[in-house]
Amino acid sequence: MSSCNRLGILGLMKKAKRSKFRIAISWLIKLSIVGVVVLAVVMAYLDAKVRDKFEGKRWALPAKVYARPLEMYPGLSLKPKYLIQELEQIGYQRVPNVLTPGQYMVDGNEMDIYRRYFSLYDSDEEAARIHIRFNDDEITGLWLDGKPVDIARLEPLLIGGIYPKHNEDRQLIQLSEVPELLVNTLVAVEDRDYYQHFGVSLKGIARAMMVNMQKGGLVQGGSTLTQQLVKNFYLTRERSLKRKVTEALMSLLVEFHYSKEEILETYLNEVYLGQSGRRAIHGFGLGAQFYFGKHISQLNAPEIAMLVGMVKGPSVYNPKRKPKNALARRNVVLGVMLEQGLVTDYQNKVWKKRGLGVVQYSQYQRVEYPAYLDLVRRQLRSEYAETDLTSEGLRIYTSLDPVIQRSAEQAVSKRLTQLENGYKIEKNKLQGAMVVVSTQSGEVEAVVGDRNPRYFGFNRALDANRSIGSLAKPAVYLTALRGDRYHMVSPLDDGPIKVAGSGGQVWEPQNYDKKSHGVVPLYQAMARSLNQATARLGLNVGLSNVVQTFKDLGVERNLPAYPSIVLGAFEMNPFDVAQMYQTIAASGFQTPLKAIRAVTTAKGELLSRYGYEVKQAVKTEPVYLLQNIMQKVVKIGTAKYLNSQFDASLNLAGKTGTSDSQRDSWFAGFSGDKLAVVWVGQDDNKSMPITGSSGALRVWAQTFKDLPLKPLYPLETENIEEQWVNVQHNALSDEHCEGVEKLPFIKGHMPTQTSSCAQKNELKSWWSRVFN
Amino acid sequence: MKYSFGIEFERKFLMAFFLTLTLAGCAGQIVKDNSLTADTSLASLPSWYHQNVGFQMMGDNHYSGSGALVHLLQDADLAFTKMELQKCQIFLERAQRIASRDSGVYVRLSYLFWVQGKPPQAEQMARRALAVMQDGEGKKEIKRLLTAIQNNQ
Repeated sequence: MSSCNRLGILGLMKKAKRSKFRIAISWLIKLSIVGVVVLAVVMAYLDAKVRDKFEGKRWALPAKVYARPLEMYPGLSLKPKYLIQELEQIGYQRVPNVLTPGQYMVDGNEMDIYRRYFSLYDSDEEAARIHIRFNDDEITGLWLDGKPVDIARLEPLLIGGIYPKHNEDRQLIQLSEVPELLVNTLVAVEDRDYYQHFGVSLKGIARAMMVNMQKGGLVQGGSTLTQQLVKNFYLTRERSLKRKVTEALMSLLVEFHYSKEEILETYLNEVYLGQSGRRAIHGFGLGAQFYFGKHISQLNAPEIAMLVGMVKGPSVYNPKRKPKNALARRNVVLGVMLEQGLVTDYQNKVWKKRGLGVVQYSQYQRVEYPAYLDLVRRQLRSEYAETDLTSEGLRIYTSLDPVIQRSAEQAVSKRLTQLENGYKIEKNKLQGAMVVVSTQSGEVEAVVGDRNPRYFGFNRALDANRSIGSLAKPAVYLTALRGDRYHMVSPLDDGPIKVAGSGGQVWEPQNYDKKSHGVVPLYQAMARSLNQATARLGLNVGLSNVVQTFKDLGVERNLPAYPSIVLGAFEMNPFDVAQMYQTIAASGFQTPLKAIRAVTTAKGELLSRYGYEVKQAVKTEPVYLLQNIMQKVVKIGTAKYLNSQFDASLNLAGKTGTSDSQRDSWFAGFSGDKLAVVWVGQDDNKSMPITGSSGALRVWAQTFKDLPLKPLYPLETENIEEQWVNVQHNALSDEHCEGVEKLPFIKGHMPTQTSSCAQKNELKSWWSRVFN
Repeated sequence: MKYSFGIEFERKFLMAFFLTLTLAGCAGQIVKDNSLTADTSLASLPSWYHQNVGFQMMGDNHYSGSGALVHLLQDADLAFTKMELQKCQIFLERAQRIASRDSGVYVRLSYLFWVQGKPPQAEQMARRALAVMQDGEGKKEIKRLLTAIQNNQ
């Protein structure tokens, strides 16, 4: 080969090498360009994601639901122990000397409360010192900041929330409200280079690696506060390289767009700090309230140390479940605070010896009322979208009375256990439900939907449709008393009765004792809950009229005009029964039952209000007579157990109910101000050895035994006239005659016969003549 | 919303009247002007109004009942004179929870609904007031209120 050729080949080889290099470079450039483009696209996507959430609505804020604010005034029946119970529930501390809002003291018959500022839908109530004087469980004097006043309100109990997905709850705070010590401690413990890095700290990662290698395991993480926020805020808990890279890129973007203060504020509101039942506690704001019953600005150093320590592992260091772990962790954090010069050596030593000081009872550790909240949710459903309820931080003010609610819950669970023991029923087989309403305002004050009141499941108060049995009877008697033919002592035949149906079947109701009682005066037939007399009366007044009375009383479902409806052979739930009885308890004036008073935005602007409504559904006079008979149910009839439990001057009224084969035990009873409907039964609808009197009535009595009730005085009108009557003879009589009773009548509708004391024997035959 | 001529006229008249009253109050004078009651326009108001609402706002109050009730009724009346009707209603509802048998509460609620152009609700409140009123003269007045509402529906 010539040298020329060799040179040519070498040149070619060099060229080839150069071209390969060029190709490689070119590919590298191309790949880099593609890489940059892909990275740019990814960054643009992540950037949009970061900005979208950070600049939009960062959190879905649950609606907060409040009980009624307690109105205190001279003359109010209120046992001090119930006021104390409520104060404890709303997180007030009992102290020897009241100095700051949120404290109270008791001194004999006097109480001092330093009320916190609070906001309601109608006004803001300033923080003030309330002095109360009691006498015999009644407020006799009231002072606000030293001046006598007529009325004062206490802040309402927070009774629950309507939570978004994952049940996240938080109380938003601003950085300016956060103690500097908390911020410094958090930075010292979680991310010392926070103010130096750009989202990712190589120094932090290196330090963590060193520590982990020394300890031989994963002891320290290298994530910055920004990375932790990004992980919680945008990403899943997945542990993968892809997630780590995304987290780092997003952290850089967050740092690029937002200031350190903004990021820190978001972190403080986002961080997860434990669980309370189904509710997830997020943010230091709610954490401070939940664990210490304090606003974040009032936290002291050891409290700050405990909360900051929890960030590492909210479950492992939960002070309620694992106090030893939490204490050890708090002391580690106190050590870091000392090391960083945030506390002195002396302080560190003193505080390390202190207990955690976690409050046992604060309103942020609220006991939830699932059955009541369920009612609130349903009543709001027609006006608010679910997303508004779970994300807009609405404030919902209800009429729940925490004292009555608690008493009702305890009565249901205690009495059901007693009934199971007493009647040898399988344990936890009985179920119960209860609805308590204010008779005059129609406001729902308590709802129990299960014997376990904390159960978020089937709500029997609203959804258990069960046969109402004798609870239907007042509608039959009211139908009779509304007409012209019947009055209080009209004779009713309680003999056996058979009614043939169109399909050839025969309806043959019997009395509970399987006996017939001959002729009985109307009011006694109902007081004794006689089925045969009532069935006959219902047929005589006309089934369509009875159906109309049910409608007038507020029963919305369409009832078929079958004979058996007069004895309650149809289903209703306790809430609907309460609506029906509210009309009776309020003298014929019907008020739609409601749980909500008002809804405001998170800032307190009024969105909706649910005011008092009323409609006269039935004339006052026949209801007056009906109430009088229902008082006799308590005095002489099936509910006389109440006589032994309550002062006779309360004049309580009510009606027991037992469905066919004793599958359901009911009682609906009312005083001058409260109505409660109780149901007891089994979910599988099996028979029980208990009746309305031996079951539901006992729960009712247990609920109200210790609560103040107003006496019931039926509303009198000028058309009502009291007369002495000889009941057995259906005749007006003289006060001094033997066996007479004073009973009310509607003018023009009373016995037409009169009897003198001497006529007793002559008139005796009157009943025999009529009824043979 | 449907208004009958009578209601609309009365509503406007009352607004003007209360405005005058409020201005008089703001001027720091004792609001007891006999020329007002003698005024033919004012005389056209039913007498139940003077007795149950207007009379009290004229300063010659006849509040009865417990301290808390009186306090809330006064707050309600004051809100009414300022035409803060929602506020007025809230005070009345608080009063109703405390004293559910005080006819004055229902009379005010009735009037409040009427002024707001809601005669059916006004009528029902008046019926409730009638049911709880025990005094014969009071009953007469409420019956006149009922008739006035019914005639203007």
